[in-house]
Amino acid sequence: MHPGDLKRFEINGYAQGTTYKVTYYAADSLVTQSQTDSLLAAIDSSVSLYRPASLILKFNHSEKGISVDHHFAVLVKKALEINRETGGLVDITVKPLVDAWGFGANKTTAFPDSAKVKAILKHVGGNKIRLKGEFLYKSDPQVQIDLNGIAQGYTADLLAGLLDKNGIQNYVAEIGGELRIKGHKPDGEPFRIGIEAIDDNDIHPSPLQMVIAPGNAAVTTSGNYRKHLQANGRQISHIIDPKTGYPSQTDVISVTVVAKDGITADGFDNGFVTMGMRQTLDFIAKRGNLAAYIIYKKPNGSIADTATSNFKAIEVK
Amino acid sequence: MERRTFVKSAGLLAGASVLNPSGIFAEAKPAGIVRIGVIGCGDRGKGIIQVLNQLPDKFKVVAICDVLEFRITETRQQNKDAKFAVYADHRGLLDNKDVDAVVISVPLNMHYTIAVDVLNAGKHLYLEKTMTYNIPQALQLVKLVKSKPKQVVQVGHQYRYSPLYYRVKEMINKGYLGDITQIDCRWDRNGNWRRPVPSPELERQINWRMYKQYSGGLMAELLSHQVDFINWAFETHPQQMFATGGIDTYKDGRETYDNVQVMFRYEGLHSMVGNFGATCANAHDGYLFKIKGTLGTISLLTDEGKFYPEKRLLADKGLVDGVTGATRIVWNKEGGSPILPEKTKDGTWYAFNEFYKSVVNGTLPDSNVFTGARTAICVHSANAALYGKMPMAWKPEYNVV
Repeated sequence: MHPGDLKRFEINGYAQGTTYKVTYYAADSLVTQSQTDSLLAAIDSSVSLYRPASLILKFNHSEKGISVDHHFAVLVKKALEINRETGGLVDITVKPLVDAWGFGANKTTAFPDSAKVKAILKHVGGNKIRLKGEFLYKSDPQVQIDLNGIAQGYTADLLAGLLDKNGIQNYVAEIGGELRIKGHKPDGEPFRIGIEAIDDNDIHPSPLQMVIAPGNAAVTTSGNYRKHLQANGRQISHIIDPKTGYPSQTDVISVTVVAKDGITADGFDNGFVTMGMRQTLDFIAKRGNLAAYIIYKKPNGSIADTATSNFKAIEVK
Repeated sequence: MERRTFVKSAGLLAGASVLNPSGIFAEAKPAGIVRIGVIGCGDRGKGIIQVLNQLPDKFKVVAICDVLEFRITETRQQNKDAKFAVYADHRGLLDNKDVDAVVISVPLNMHYTIAVDVLNAGKHLYLEKTMTYNIPQALQLVKLVKSKPKQVVQVGHQYRYSPLYYRVKEMINKGYLGDITQIDCRWDRNGNWRRPVPSPELERQINWRMYKQYSGGLMAELLSHQVDFINWAFETHPQQMFATGGIDTYKDGRETYDNVQVMFRYEGLHSMVGNFGATCANAHDGYLFKIKGTLGTISLLTDEGKFYPEKRLLADKGLVDGVTGATRIVWNKEGGSPILPEKTKDGTWYAFNEFYKSVVNGTLPDSNVFTGARTAICVHSANAALYGKMPMAWKPEYNVV
């Protein structure tokens, strides 16, 4: 087919409390909004904490666990892998802590004291859940999970899968700032992805911090400041450190991760916020197959950025 | 003049506070609690009592006053556990030594006289908006309050006490909207704006908003909030005021217009046209408040707001095929982004928390006699334009506010 025969199609929608956008190039509209919407509805009914009848709520309210669906199992399996790889810094059983700190579906008016945190920590940990076949077990009734940190990246993968299945070779699928990219534009130019700049405020549209051309990959970003609460004039992070039980207090403001798929990139990014800048760079150097761009706060309070060398390689100057 | 320009997150405020040792309160009483007398127990007065009841570590309503017996009965029924001292005449309430501060929520024409009595009785004052019934009273009240530096006077433009409105002021001052030229405000309803009257001879006392003798109509009772916010947020006032309107739907003997449109001309750092309108004959817009600048638009309800950057600002993001961001700003379907992550509480809750701080610390409230007078002057000039069918101008003698 001549490149000139390809037309640009765009699907814009609203799902998982955020926006999604699929852009693809094809001779005809091979994928429609009703398809993407029903795909997103399926994942919502499985792992959304805001959907009253979702499977994840059923699991959280259960005594011993429940049978889960395919999406749920894939997410849990990956989350447990990443939990082991990060030495427990990424942990989906962190949910009771997220709730206690007021970042859950219900807001709290007071922060938990150290005794409360200690008590909750007894029900937090990768070893508190076990997936056997399609049954997800929990070690005690208080164990609850939160897949919000990883589900959006996986959703981008599912959108990509839908496009692949329909023979689309060139696309960008984005949900809530998490992306899957494949192919290139009809003129042969790569897809360019902008990374939003950090400002002292989070609403002022400012120029993009950086533009990358990642090729066939997933890009996700985890930020430590858009969602925060204020306590005694101090902002606290919405990312809870599952080892200490307290909100993460590292130098990292945001991490952008590039990986082969969204579930991996999104699965790691929150953990990198908790790890801190230096440890994240070491971790990625050792592990391979990931690239990262980190915006962080220096000890003197000024904002700086750094990237792994493989990330620098995809930067568009 | 403003003591603060920054938002304080009120949601998680610790209740801790220390009484000013200079001894505003000489008598022995529960530590740190400001004892309130409420003059005027209509819907607003009763509503304020409900809010004060939610702040038991700060306030206690100890006395109530209303000239209408059934209002007293209603207030008692709503507060069964409370032991109020009850008065039909406000002067009796002001003689009560247990009252530290007074809330005035009576028809507009009585604001000034009662406020003067409160101040002369040595009490702190929370005075409902609009501050006074006319401009001379506003200027007089400024003079009187200046002579009583130890007493706190807060004016009840409560909406701007919400963290949302502080944030909007900050956004304006930091230039996020660019050069602002247009303000659009509405406060519409589809209904006659009347209260039920238990007996015909009470018509004027209960539906005082319908009559010029008591009220400044829609301008004073509703649009004054938005007028006040613009004055405060931009630290400005209009130079010229144009208006039109009429009694277009409810020809039921009322005197105040049921359909008004006011246009203000502001000049200064931001030279702007402000459009303020209210009708009783269409509810589609309800409360609408838009502030429009070269870089974006803010659209506000009383408890939530959205920011819409101008399309050209998003254009540089259009040069890329996708954006990843730590901010994860969620643009709604119309391309807007929430200003605060969650809805705020009712403005009255924030306003009384701040009133408490001002009383305890002896500081000037953000909605004070000066800003209150400025807004009252705007309201009454607008009404003069509206009912007199002629443009009005800001006069040099108003500059004391």
